[in-house]
Amino acid sequence: MSIEPVADPELLGRMRLGDESALEALYVRYGGLVYTLARRIVGDPELAREVVQDTFLRSWDGRDTYDPERGRVPWWLMGIARNRAIDLLRSRSHQARLRERAAPPPEISTTHPRDPADTVVARRTVLDALRELSDGQRRAIELAYYGGLTQTEIANELGEPLGTIKSRTREAMERLRKVLGPLIQSAGGRTS
Amino acid sequence: MTDSSEHIVDELAAYALGALETGEHARVDEHVATCASCASRLAEYRGLAGALPLALAPITPPSDLWDAIRSEARQRRPRVRMRSAIGTRWLRVAPWVAAAAVAAWLVTWNVRLQSELAQYAQGPQVEKLARRPARLVILSGAAQSQASARIFAAVDGQSGHMAISGLPRLAAERVYQLWFLPKAGPPLTAATFTVDADGRAWVVIKVPADLDDTRSLIVTEEAAPGNRAPTGPSLLEAREWR
Repeated sequence: MSIEPVADPELLGRMRLGDESALEALYVRYGGLVYTLARRIVGDPELAREVVQDTFLRSWDGRDTYDPERGRVPWWLMGIARNRAIDLLRSRSHQARLRERAAPPPEISTTHPRDPADTVVARRTVLDALRELSDGQRRAIELAYYGGLTQTEIANELGEPLGTIKSRTREAMERLRKVLGPLIQSAGGRTS
Repeated sequence: MTDSSEHIVDELAAYALGALETGEHARVDEHVATCASCASRLAEYRGLAGALPLALAPITPPSDLWDAIRSEARQRRPRVRMRSAIGTRWLRVAPWVAAAAVAAWLVTWNVRLQSELAQYAQGPQVEKLARRPARLVILSGAAQSQASARIFAAVDGQSGHMAISGLPRLAAERVYQLWFLPKAGPPLTAATFTVDADGRAWVVIKVPADLDDTRSLIVTEEAAPGNRAPTGPSLLEAREWR
């Protein structure tokens, strides 16, 4: 496999021309992160595999519809993967969702041996930002993003008023935005 | 704008995290369509949500996963299938018209090719090209429907010729660029050229990849003197040749 030192938008441009090697470069760059996300949501390796496959095939089919105004390529991919994983989660029995509700505290990330330096920094930055949140804020975000619960469902799950969950979620996202803003703006090219 | 942004910021965070209640999406969509600050904030929140998995312990995907994705992606080439379907239908409706048109075109092309080749009679490449069997690639207009091109590529060499017609003249700092898109690997440039006042050109090209290992040829417009990879839309395309 070859990795072209090109920016994500150029890869999307080549994908629009039907360049399969650009899709491969995108997979090399983000396949690991998509798989990690899928495993976190669906748990099962086979289902996670299905999520990854579906994500990159959707990016291939939808390469003409990617809109840079709505976010950078990796966040676009994560959005596809997350939605697909949640769809799978919802299509299964309630056991999976119950397992999510009983999920342990956030996993402590370890650096991957093949991570480039900028990815190591990005991982550390996100981890530090999440640690700065209160337990309640972090839990609300995780139940929403990884558990696929609506705010009402989160309120019921945690036994808190809906208004509290809403404000807690907003405060958490605002705190993350202040800390991670530069990362979000700059990490569109190579973060994996 | 500021007032409305303050009213909807709770929903923006939930929206980005996929936690909105059923039925609330339309209201948020409607709001961000007219509120630039909320649209910008939503894009930021989506970025934040997308970055959350960076905090997870990385898990390496199965080693054969890419092969499965590639295999499936190769079966999804809608433009090729559509073109084949159209071509087949046309041939089925009027086979004699198709055959006559192809025959007439080949005669015209061969006459014209010989005439054009004669202009380069001193060039060893052209002499070799004229003597030896070659492969013919027909490019038809994609974004430029009135344009077409023929590539006459030496079977045993790295060279060829391309005749183009129907492309508009370009500004001084722009060129057309011919690309080979290999079945594996990045696009390879074969020539850069401009056209005359009649929209025509006759270009000596290098053949950067075996046609059997190439899935398509395209022509794009690029900034002079040419780019490392295509950036413009495909103006001419060929996906099949003989």
